[in-house]
Amino acid sequence: MEQETKVVFKGNSEGLVIVIPEEYEFEQARKEIDNKVSNAARFFMGAKIKVTYRGMNLTPVQEEALKDIMDEKSGAVIESFSKDEEPKPNQFAARVVQPKPVPGRRLLFAGVDEGNCKFVRSTVRSGMRIEYDGNVVVIGDVNPGGEIVATGNVVVLGTLRGMVHAGADGNREAFIYALSLRPTQIRIAEVIARMPEDEPESGTLRPELATVKDNSIVVEQR
Amino acid sequence: MGEVIVITSGKGGVGKTTTTANLGTGLAVQGKKVVLIDTDIGLRNLDVVMGLENRIVYDLVDVIEGTCRLKQALIKDKRYEGLHLLPAPQTRDKNAVTPEQMLKLCDELKEEFDYILIDCPAGIEQGFKNAIAGADKAFVITTPEVSAVRDADRIIGLLEAHEIRKPRLIVNRVRADMVKRGDMMSIEDIIDILAIDLIGVVPDDENIIISTNRGEPAVIDGKSMAGQAYRNITNRLMGQDVPIMDLNVSEGLLSKMKKLLGFKTA
Repeated sequence: MEQETKVVFKGNSEGLVIVIPEEYEFEQARKEIDNKVSNAARFFMGAKIKVTYRGMNLTPVQEEALKDIMDEKSGAVIESFSKDEEPKPNQFAARVVQPKPVPGRRLLFAGVDEGNCKFVRSTVRSGMRIEYDGNVVVIGDVNPGGEIVATGNVVVLGTLRGMVHAGADGNREAFIYALSLRPTQIRIAEVIARMPEDEPESGTLRPELATVKDNSIVVEQR
Repeated sequence: MGEVIVITSGKGGVGKTTTTANLGTGLAVQGKKVVLIDTDIGLRNLDVVMGLENRIVYDLVDVIEGTCRLKQALIKDKRYEGLHLLPAPQTRDKNAVTPEQMLKLCDELKEEFDYILIDCPAGIEQGFKNAIAGADKAFVITTPEVSAVRDADRIIGLLEAHEIRKPRLIVNRVRADMVKRGDMMSIEDIIDILAIDLIGVVPDDENIIISTNRGEPAVIDGKSMAGQAYRNITNRLMGQDVPIMDLNVSEGLLSKMKKLLGFKTA
């Protein structure tokens, strides 16, 4: 476990967090921080950072000393240097502070009312797959075997015969709209729907809107 | 300067080879200089349909590898002035040729012939890429079946991705009686999905099987419905305005057509 008891630098939304093992002497901590900062000087160069620390308790004088080292060796402007407010009982907890965002687990795409949009200006044919983090508008048809996967809404200004997945990262607020809606399958978030098979092909376009209501996809004429 | 047309479909067995043979013969009968290239390396059969199998000495790969001169490999069809075939080897595979080599070959043939028709293999792999490499235009063949239409749709997308714009559609093996009963997709249904221009409709005709087995293209048979359809396509290809053959005189089709037209203008 030799590796575990070391000064660790971490980034967070505020700036830099330094985790100093509680059992450390000040002098040991000072040396390690000095080393680390000197090695990473180019990384910090020119940045303005707030520094907090966890673990060991420092006196104001010691805090000032460490701030000076960082100021001098890193080339960055240290705006503040203080004890982290959140009490972290041990280092392991400190190590898992910032889970990396996992696709699908991140915050939902928030632009279903207003946001990023991709325009597809051709027919989406069999074998084509359009993936987009945002809303998708197709000016043309989506044919059987064609697929659209969007984290936002999908609007098809033509006939939708293929597969469309709106709100693909789990957003149930997303909708699917088509001038003629006869898809092989539509999905909104994790809800899947097939179209009734006996629906007659009518010559005229009948615009329809698909949304999620009470755990199922509801299609209504618009 | 000639024109290179690839005849393709995605799905197998929809009539690429038959169409290539018939259009080629039709063009030659009209006095054009035509060469047909079979790019289905390893599974050749254009030579059989043309009845020229026993005259093959050299093939496409021999030309590309420089084993022989282009002129040596071209088989002249003695029945129709101006018709030539460049057969595929049966003992190699599709990787024996690259798209660059095909492009070069097509450019060379364009100098001398009016039409170069390329019979494309089924599928979307190497053979397809070779076949379309040198093409200026494409004819997409489908039959009125959902699987064939699905594959045709994929092919159209791939052609567009390879900068072959506005491919034209041939619907093969249409049975008017079945369409009338609503048991078969209608031409309108197919065009509605594929959204490309139609150049011809070929009815399902048992004479095709007879003529194919004999190695005599149906296009020269005055009594064959399919032969007439191929003659029409040939004429359209040469720029004449020939109406699409009326396979179905029922009210249903006409009213559907009107509906379609009415909708388009609306």
